[in-house]
Amino acid sequence: MIKLNDLKISYRIGNRVIEAVNGVTLTIPDGSIVGIAGESGCGKSTLMKAIYGDIQSPMSLSGGSIEYGMKGADGLPVTTQTIRREWFKSISYIPQSSMNSLNPVIRIRDQFTDFPGTDSNKKRVLERARAYIGKLGLPAEAMESYPHQLSGGMRQRVMIALATFFQPELIIADEPTTALDVVVQKEILLLLMEVQELMGNTILVVSHDMGVHYQVTHKMLIMYAGRVVEYGDTESVFADPQHPYTKMLIDSLPTIGDDSMRGVLASMAGAGGDRAYRVEPELIEVKPGHFMARPSQIVGAAA
Amino acid sequence: MGVLQYVAKRVGLYFAVLFIGLTITFLLPRLMPANPIDGYIGQIQARASGALTADDIIQLRANLEQLYGLKGDLFSQYLSYLERVVLHFDFGPSFTYYPQPVSQMIFNALPWTLGLLLISTFIAWLLGNMVGLVAGYFHTKKAATILEVVGILLYPIPYYILAVSVILLLAYIFPIFPLSPTFPVGQMTPQKFGMVIYNSLLPALTLVLAGFGWNILSMKALAVATTEEPYVTYARLKGASNWTRMVRYVFRNAMLPQVTALALSLGTVFNGALLTEMLFSYPGVGLIMRTAASGGDYNVLYGAIAISIIAVATAGLVIDLIYPLLDPRIRHK
Repeated sequence: MIKLNDLKISYRIGNRVIEAVNGVTLTIPDGSIVGIAGESGCGKSTLMKAIYGDIQSPMSLSGGSIEYGMKGADGLPVTTQTIRREWFKSISYIPQSSMNSLNPVIRIRDQFTDFPGTDSNKKRVLERARAYIGKLGLPAEAMESYPHQLSGGMRQRVMIALATFFQPELIIADEPTTALDVVVQKEILLLLMEVQELMGNTILVVSHDMGVHYQVTHKMLIMYAGRVVEYGDTESVFADPQHPYTKMLIDSLPTIGDDSMRGVLASMAGAGGDRAYRVEPELIEVKPGHFMARPSQIVGAAA
Repeated sequence: MGVLQYVAKRVGLYFAVLFIGLTITFLLPRLMPANPIDGYIGQIQARASGALTADDIIQLRANLEQLYGLKGDLFSQYLSYLERVVLHFDFGPSFTYYPQPVSQMIFNALPWTLGLLLISTFIAWLLGNMVGLVAGYFHTKKAATILEVVGILLYPIPYYILAVSVILLLAYIFPIFPLSPTFPVGQMTPQKFGMVIYNSLLPALTLVLAGFGWNILSMKALAVATTEEPYVTYARLKGASNWTRMVRYVFRNAMLPQVTALALSLGTVFNGALLTEMLFSYPGVGLIMRTAASGGDYNVLYGAIAISIIAVATAGLVIDLIYPLLDPRIRHK
C-alpha cells in the first residue's frame, strides 16, 4: 500500500518556484491498476517521477512524504531517500518512448544484465529472461537482436519484460502505448493486465487516452493544476463523474453515432467553457471509495 | 550473404578509387605546357657548355623518354604507367638522386612517417575522446568544464606555433629533448630503437597536443547530446551504474562519428607529415616531398602523391569494414 501524505513537489526555475504537485493525499491499495489522467502540465508525470524516486534538480520534494509500505534489503521501510536501491527490484518503470529507450548498439540480451537487478549471476538471469520473454509472446531470437530489428510492438514487449522480470511490487507506466497503433496498443494493454493478474503487483498507468483507462484500470485518479480533482473506482468514476473537469474529460471520448458534439469545442461543452478551476487539496468521499475535491470551492460555472 | 556482399562492394569501391586517383596523377602533369625532358636536356646542355650535338640530343631524349616512361602516344604511356605502378610499384628513378628508384626512397621514409603520425594521431584521438567523454557526461558539474577549457585553449593554436613553442620550451630552455634529432641508420638494435623513440617523443608530443583539443571539443558535444537520449535516461532509471551508462550507453553511441573523423585524419597524415618533418628534421615522406617539390623532382612527387591516395583510400576502406562492427544498424541493411 502506497500512501502519499500532502505531497508537494516543486520546480525551481531561476528565482521562481513552481508547485507542480501541490498537496496530494492518496492511498493506493496493493495489487490494483491505477490510471492517472489529466491535461498536460497537470502534474501527473511529476507525481510519477516523485513516486519512482527520480527526484533531481531542478525538481525537489518540498513537502509531505511518500510511504511505500515495503521493506528494503536492510529490513528498514523504503523511503524517498532509499527508493533508488529498489529500482528494477521492487519498483520498475515502463517508459513512454519504447522506440528509443533501448540502446541501439547493444543486443537486447545485454540490456537485461547491465543493471544490478535482483540477481548478480548474469548467466542465470539470461536463461530465465529467455524463458520469460517467450511467455510475453516474444521469440527467443529477440534476445540476440538489436533494437532496430524489432517492431514497435516487440520493443514495447521487451520494455514490459524488463519491467516485470524481477517481479516488482510496483510498476510505473508512463503512457506505455502512446507511440503504438491501436491494434498493438490493445495487445500491449492486455499483456500488461495479464502480467498484473499473475503477479498481483500495483501498476500506475499515466495516459491521455480515457479509453485506455476505462479498459485497463481498477481505479482512476484525475488531476488538475497539481491537485487531485477526483479519485475512485474506475466504474464509478466513469458512470457517475462528480467533478465538472472529470465530466469534461469523459465527454471528450467520442461516441459512435453521436453527432451532437460536431462543431463544438469539447472544452466548451458540459462545464460551460471556463476551465480556470480552483482545486482545493481536501477530498471528500462522495460514495464509498469515490473521492472528489470539495465542490463549493470551484470557481467558474459548475455543471 | 549480406556480409560477403558488403565486403565485396567496399573492396570494389576501393579499387575504383585507386584507379581513378592514379589516372588523375598520370594526367595532371601531362596537361602542363612544360616538358620535363626539355628542361633536363637544357640542364645537361648547360653543364656540358653546349658541347652536345643534335644527334647526341636525340639519343639522350630517347634514353630519357625510355627511362621516365614518356615514350609513345598518351594512351600507350598510360598503359605502361599503369603496368609499372600497379604491378611493380615503380615510379622510375629520382631526378635529384639519380639513379635511386623513387619507390625505394618512399619505402625507406614510409615507416618513419607512419610510425610517428599514426601512433600520435591515435593517441590524440584516444586521450581527446576520454577527456571529452568525461567532460560531456558530467557536463552539469563545474569540474567538468575545466576539462573542456583544455580543449578550447589547445584547439585554436596553429600547429607551427605550438611546435615551435614546444621545441623552445623542452629542447632549448629545458633541454630535456635534443634540439636537432639524430636518427641511427642500418640494422635495428634495442639500443637504436630506444634512441629512435627518444628522438621521436618531441614531434609526437606536438602532434598529440595539436590533435587533442579538437577531439575533446568534438567528443564533448557528442556526449552531451547523447546523455539526453531516452535510452540513457532509461538506463539510469534501471539503476545502471554511472560507469555502465558513460561507457556502454554514451560512449558506444557518441564514438561512431568520432571513428569516421579518426579515419579521415589517419588518411591525411601526410599533410601533417610535411610540417612536422620540416620542423623536426624527421626523415619521413614529408621531408622527401618537400625536397622533391623545391627541386622539381617529378617522379618523387608522383610517388608521394600515389602513396597519399593509397593511404586515404585504405583508411576509408578499413573504416568501412570496421564500422558495421560498431554500429549494428549498418550491418543489417
